[in-house]
Amino acid sequence: MAEEVEKNKTLTRPLPPIRWWMFSLLFLGVLIAFTASLALGSVDIPLNNVFRILTGQIADKGTWADIILIFRLPKTITAILVGAALSVSGLQMQTLFRNPLADPFILGVNSGASLGVALVILGFGTTGSLLLAGLGLFGDLSLAVAASLGAGAVLLLVLLIGRRVRSPITLLILGLMFGYATSAIVSLLIYFSLPERIQTYTTWSFGSFGGVTWSQLWVMVPVILTGLGISYFLPKSLNALLLGEEYARTMGLNIKRTRFWIILGASLLAGTVTAFCGPIGFIGVAVPHLCRSLFNTSDHRVLLPAVTMMGAIIALLADVIAQLPGTQYILPINVVTSLFGAPFIVWVIIRQRRMKSTFAD
Amino acid sequence: MRKTLTILLSITITLGILLSACQTTTAIEEPAITVVVSNVQSGCVADYEVAVDYFPNKAQVEYAQGFRIEYYSNYKVLTVLQPWSGAEEPFSYVLVQCGTPAPENTDGALVVEVPIQSIVTMSTTYYPHLESFGKMDTLVGVDDTTYAYNETVQALASEEKIAIVGGGAGGGAVNVEALLDLGPDVIMTSASGIPDYDSHPKLIEAGLPVVINADYLENTPLGRAEWGKFIAAFYNLEAEAETLFTEVASRYEALTALTDSVSEKPSVFTNTDFQGSWYVPGGQSYAALLLKDAGAAYFWADDSGTGSIPLSFEEVFDTAKEADFWLNVGFASDLSGLLAMDERYTEFKAFQTGNVFNYNKRVNMNGGMDYFESGVANPDLILADLIAIFHPELLPEHEFVYYQQIQ
Repeated sequence: MAEEVEKNKTLTRPLPPIRWWMFSLLFLGVLIAFTASLALGSVDIPLNNVFRILTGQIADKGTWADIILIFRLPKTITAILVGAALSVSGLQMQTLFRNPLADPFILGVNSGASLGVALVILGFGTTGSLLLAGLGLFGDLSLAVAASLGAGAVLLLVLLIGRRVRSPITLLILGLMFGYATSAIVSLLIYFSLPERIQTYTTWSFGSFGGVTWSQLWVMVPVILTGLGISYFLPKSLNALLLGEEYARTMGLNIKRTRFWIILGASLLAGTVTAFCGPIGFIGVAVPHLCRSLFNTSDHRVLLPAVTMMGAIIALLADVIAQLPGTQYILPINVVTSLFGAPFIVWVIIRQRRMKSTFAD
Repeated sequence: MRKTLTILLSITITLGILLSACQTTTAIEEPAITVVVSNVQSGCVADYEVAVDYFPNKAQVEYAQGFRIEYYSNYKVLTVLQPWSGAEEPFSYVLVQCGTPAPENTDGALVVEVPIQSIVTMSTTYYPHLESFGKMDTLVGVDDTTYAYNETVQALASEEKIAIVGGGAGGGAVNVEALLDLGPDVIMTSASGIPDYDSHPKLIEAGLPVVINADYLENTPLGRAEWGKFIAAFYNLEAEAETLFTEVASRYEALTALTDSVSEKPSVFTNTDFQGSWYVPGGQSYAALLLKDAGAAYFWADDSGTGSIPLSFEEVFDTAKEADFWLNVGFASDLSGLLAMDERYTEFKAFQTGNVFNYNKRVNMNGGMDYFESGVANPDLILADLIAIFHPELLPEHEFVYYQQIQ
């Protein structure tokens, strides 16, 4: 009974004092990371030239304008979208499953996307290229289309089955099983494929922001914004879920409907990211933890905007490091996020104990 | 004294010439010296004699860095100096003339009786050599035929005259049982040094006669082609291999000489971007050397690497936007296919002027390209194609073999 009262207090207490200065800092961080991502790359372009190009003036060298406008700008926008999408998606999944290890891909959307891409790249010799040509209808989206179809198929399955099952644990296991089944098919394709095709597939699985072009952004931006929009309508339901489904139900929450929207929003975000950039790990798990620690809260009204901005910052910084400014070389995004990000996040989380209070029953 | 010696010598030589004209293996009564005029190309030696050199035709390795052949009277030792990139120890094979005794101390090296009568191959690059030696009839098994361009191999496979045993680059794991059943004289394969991918550890364990061929590690086009002599050693066909290779090499050198004097070297870049990473061949790689010999200015020619360099798209764009030619665009078979990969390709001058070429003129139904197959044995044909691309005036009558302009 005392526990009940305690929970009630948590849920109904007024919005915690929003630390405006922290949000301002975050926003400033986004701006700085945005500028850094535009200004730094393997080709050395002075900062004043970057601003001249962005404001439509003539740069010192002709190719610089092209590099900023058709390479770095779409890549930077992609990084922001990816960081925000994965973090928001991860936050929702962690809450839905009340599991600190949950990530945006826990329901198998990226296995679906991987299968789509594997079929195109590793597929049956030229049958793969025929498939690509068949998808010429969608213009330049070929790989992205295949990945979207795969992710969409899994999402549809999860949503359909999700209507029938009661426990989110069942969903979790279903997601796991989808993952096993699709990776088995991918392994089979790899097994019978040529090394150079396998390398192409492996490169895809390392993740990248650089492959997204303007015409792809015309698809990616609206879909990600829709996914984020859905999520921004859910903070109160998410807060209620944090206290347990039973409890949320007594609060008058329609669990099934809430679950539907959370899964739809989160999977839309994760699936779109995987479709355009490959499976990008780490950000979706780490950023929610980082923000819980920094803001010392598990209130989604604070966390949603916080993870959106923090995700964008981390993704932008990862991209800057991946470009290894000043050198000709580039690193895969997943290498950077995990290698540089993990120690930092570990340090932050060990210092704080918010995780225990969020996920302990 | 000196005069007597000279006379004696000339008599011996005359005798030798007379004997070779008869094409026989005869022992001279006095003194007991047997002269073998050429390597034994089929069957075994009936009467082994210790003093006889059974391999009068010896291979001279000039360009290839990866293997060495040492000849003894009745056996030869083939050494693969670097079986895979970073390998610590060479692999040696003792090739013993059939009908003669094997040397006693072989230090664990595989002993093969030559000439061999059956072979299983696990790379398509051996087909052109076997074909030109007239030894396709000894082929009893291959790793996989999906990406094989060679028509004889495809025909043999569809008639089920050769076994498909896996173990190559695209054929899944090696079928040890099928190979034990087949019992070939030699199984020739390449190796990467990664145990999970390589077939040879399993085959050695099963006691099968596996030979590692490291042709793909050669960085020079002629070095790679010279591995034909490596294969020839198993058939005692050194003389034939020498003739064939000398022709290829002299044609290659002649073509290179053609471009020595060109004043204008068109700029060229190769390969395509994938998700922001653009792998370009290192300056000392096989692909870069071909471009250099064809009289083109390759942007990364000064790089000292033999592998590939991972670059960002913007780096390649900054360097090669105004390049004259764009080559080796991978799986793309037309310009719209290239655009489907990334619309930013239109920004390259070479794309706008249509100077885009790919090595996919000869391709099988599954996308297997002959450039990677017979091209390895025929670098002179590749070079001629490239010269016709960069300097059409030098080879006005040229018909493309491997390359074609992408439309």
